[in-house]
Amino acid sequence: MSPADGIATATRAAADGAAPANPLREGLESNRITDPCNIVFFGASGDLANRMLFPAMYNLRLGDIMPTSFGIIGFSRTPETDDSFRDNVHKSLDTFSRSGPPRDPLWSDFAKHLSYVTGDFDDPDCYRKLGKQLDANDEQFGTGGNRLYYLSTPPQVFPKIVAGLDAAGLGPRQQKKGWTRIIVEKPFGTDLDTARALQTEITKVFDEQHVYRIDHYLGKEPVQDIMALRFANIIFEPLWNRRYVDCVQITAAETVGVELRGGYYDHAGALRDMIQNHVMNLLALVAMEPPVSASADSIRDEKFKVLSALRPISADDVAKTTARGQYGPGVIAGKDVPGYRTEPDVDPNSNTETYAAVRFAIDNWRWADVPFYLRSGKRLARKNSEIAVRFRALPHRLFGEAGDAIEQNTLVMKIEPDEGVQLRFNAKVPGPKMHIRAVTMDFNYGSGFGVVSAPAYERLIGDAMRGDATLFTRWDAVERAWEVVMPILDTWLNTRATDFPNYAAGSQGPASSDALLAAEGREWRQI
Amino acid sequence: MTAHAASIHDVAAILAELRRAVDAAAAGADATPSIATLNLVAYVDDATHHDWVLERAARLIEKHPARFIVLDAAANDGGADVATETRGNDGATVVSQRVDLAVGDAPAAVVHSLVHDLCAANTPTVLWWASARMDGSTPLAALAGDVNALVVDSSGPGRGDHAVNDAVAFALANPRVILRDLAYMRLAPWQDMIAQFFDDPALFDDLFSITGLEVDAGSDAEALYLAGWLASRLSWRVRDGATFLDRANRAVAFVVARRGDPRRIQRVRLHSEGSTYTAAVSDDEAVVCLSIDGENAREPWCVPLQSVDIMSLVERATTVFGRDQIFDTTLPTVAGLRGMGAR
Repeated sequence: MSPADGIATATRAAADGAAPANPLREGLESNRITDPCNIVFFGASGDLANRMLFPAMYNLRLGDIMPTSFGIIGFSRTPETDDSFRDNVHKSLDTFSRSGPPRDPLWSDFAKHLSYVTGDFDDPDCYRKLGKQLDANDEQFGTGGNRLYYLSTPPQVFPKIVAGLDAAGLGPRQQKKGWTRIIVEKPFGTDLDTARALQTEITKVFDEQHVYRIDHYLGKEPVQDIMALRFANIIFEPLWNRRYVDCVQITAAETVGVELRGGYYDHAGALRDMIQNHVMNLLALVAMEPPVSASADSIRDEKFKVLSALRPISADDVAKTTARGQYGPGVIAGKDVPGYRTEPDVDPNSNTETYAAVRFAIDNWRWADVPFYLRSGKRLARKNSEIAVRFRALPHRLFGEAGDAIEQNTLVMKIEPDEGVQLRFNAKVPGPKMHIRAVTMDFNYGSGFGVVSAPAYERLIGDAMRGDATLFTRWDAVERAWEVVMPILDTWLNTRATDFPNYAAGSQGPASSDALLAAEGREWRQI
Repeated sequence: MTAHAASIHDVAAILAELRRAVDAAAAGADATPSIATLNLVAYVDDATHHDWVLERAARLIEKHPARFIVLDAAANDGGADVATETRGNDGATVVSQRVDLAVGDAPAAVVHSLVHDLCAANTPTVLWWASARMDGSTPLAALAGDVNALVVDSSGPGRGDHAVNDAVAFALANPRVILRDLAYMRLAPWQDMIAQFFDDPALFDDLFSITGLEVDAGSDAEALYLAGWLASRLSWRVRDGATFLDRANRAVAFVVARRGDPRRIQRVRLHSEGSTYTAAVSDDEAVVCLSIDGENAREPWCVPLQSVDIMSLVERATTVFGRDQIFDTTLPTVAGLRGMGAR
């Protein structure tokens, strides 16, 4: 395009009432988010903000991805001044930023954009103070009225915050200029009823298009790569169905216990904490049909269809299709670790599961009769999150005894701590005889691309600032996931697990989980 | 890896050796081996940087299978070495080929003939000109007809002030050849920073009332290209080496100051009728501070300077095909600033 064309375009844009296009931008490549905005962190003195959110913001700035016009406002009950808030953010970066301690002049410049509002979440005056700070930021930083609220508080105060914003005229419907979005941390409710109640409160103020329900798992590069693997390669899709797939195993295993979250976790458990959100999101990504486009709603439509096709598990079927466990004392990495019931803030007679396994069936043409086994647990042998697609056995034994060691092909999408893709297939062992053995073809993100993946929160906050909701969970999917797990949750709540604790810390999980697959002639992959 | 010594005057022997390596690879492979997606020709006449250039070129062809022809003008014994490497790559057999030619004493016509005969047919040819000279004493003009793209670095080591003139002159005289100048490619972060000033729609009008441009840089090429880029975006015309005319025929003063290390811009300043826009490297060389003073004054802000390593620049220059039309429109402006006739 010639310069005259560029200037003509800018002039036309101005005549149409749109902001004129900057002719200097033509042809320049940039990852920068273009919309200026204010980001308000509710719960700014909390652990999540300090460990994840502030480092994410700073590194977005350091990577020149943040818009240059921005304001960051911390909002919390803990009394702070702007200066002490800046000191706290600096300390958080010192300790948790992937780029190391912040350096001047970039830090000083970043710090100028930080401010703090002290207040109780149900005090209307505090929201008025917040409104004044937002207006001041618009004036000082040119943030144009754009606002992103991040709810990183305990979930019980979400409705208070939303109502407080609305009462102070800070919601999207009262907005005179710019956009307003809200990021809602998980858990989104503690069961179907509370999720619906929370949704009702939020939608009094925010339309669905303004709500970004964050599930940090979806911001991990390997999770995003699931779609690339499936829909940017011709070789997998023809096999991605009941004709060739024997089963799918999705694992989210941790070695850590409940650490300082005993009080929360003892009321949540593995099914609520992991399966209902992270793991079911993975299931939806791996099982969905190809979307008609890469737009947020096309992808989320397909994910919802998968969740809609999950066969309901009735209370009578819970025993046959699920397994639960609770860790007892054991050894991890050579160290003795305590059992769950002796962890801080945990009921010594707790009935809460620290391990959950569920067998789902998807009633559609693609996946009929293919079991999807999901498991997640704490204090297991190894930290390992992965999706394993195990293909069917060969229809014919061509190699006789030489083929005894032939394994079913398995494609493994590794999510953490390793990030990559493995394909397990059979090959001839070198030598004069025909011996066959399974080998692994390995792709690792780090060595494959020579770059370190940005943490999930960086990606997701950046996407929310851009207005890209692809990696956020839509309400219909959240509701459907709760509908599906409720019979399990109710049954487990109403039936005491008499065998708890039933697996040792550092093990592969409870025997009942192995039995779940053994009943169908299968076994779990080693964690 | 095999090596075969021959003479630059025995093209048939060199070709036979290349053929032999491909045949050998084919014999051991289930399918026809993949040889070259690119002819990469490197011309180097400086013994000091010889190894540096070849090491980077070797890394490049490791990623992008190429027939790599080294025109070594620092060596004048007329020798020719052929080396091939066969390796598996995702199930395919890939043959990398390298021909080192000592062309120090060879006339331009001979060099041209060698390149013409040795490049794989129907494959794009990129000439990496790793020499400080681009004048008539080199075979550059003779090679122009056989290359699709020319990669130069007008502010590379040992380059004089004339280097950017030579590059621009070559591009204007050989419009069929795509010029990639690393000195221009290095400007990307600065272009982005200058664009940032005017992303705010409230400042948009000021973009068309600029009265002056100052660039402090360690070498001329960056300053000239930056001015040329701005001129191309804003429809400025060159009046003389120190003045543009904007689209309303108002004068825009252009001042270059030599400051800092070669290849590094230290500061860019734009004057409009009411404001001054400054982007300057801070004490931390990885950070640039931006400020607006005057009518449109804003709080200063800083941005990280995302520098790109030389290897990435070279890789991009040699493997990304297609014209950069904005760069192409920059070239006549630079020629005008240098008094080279094209305005």
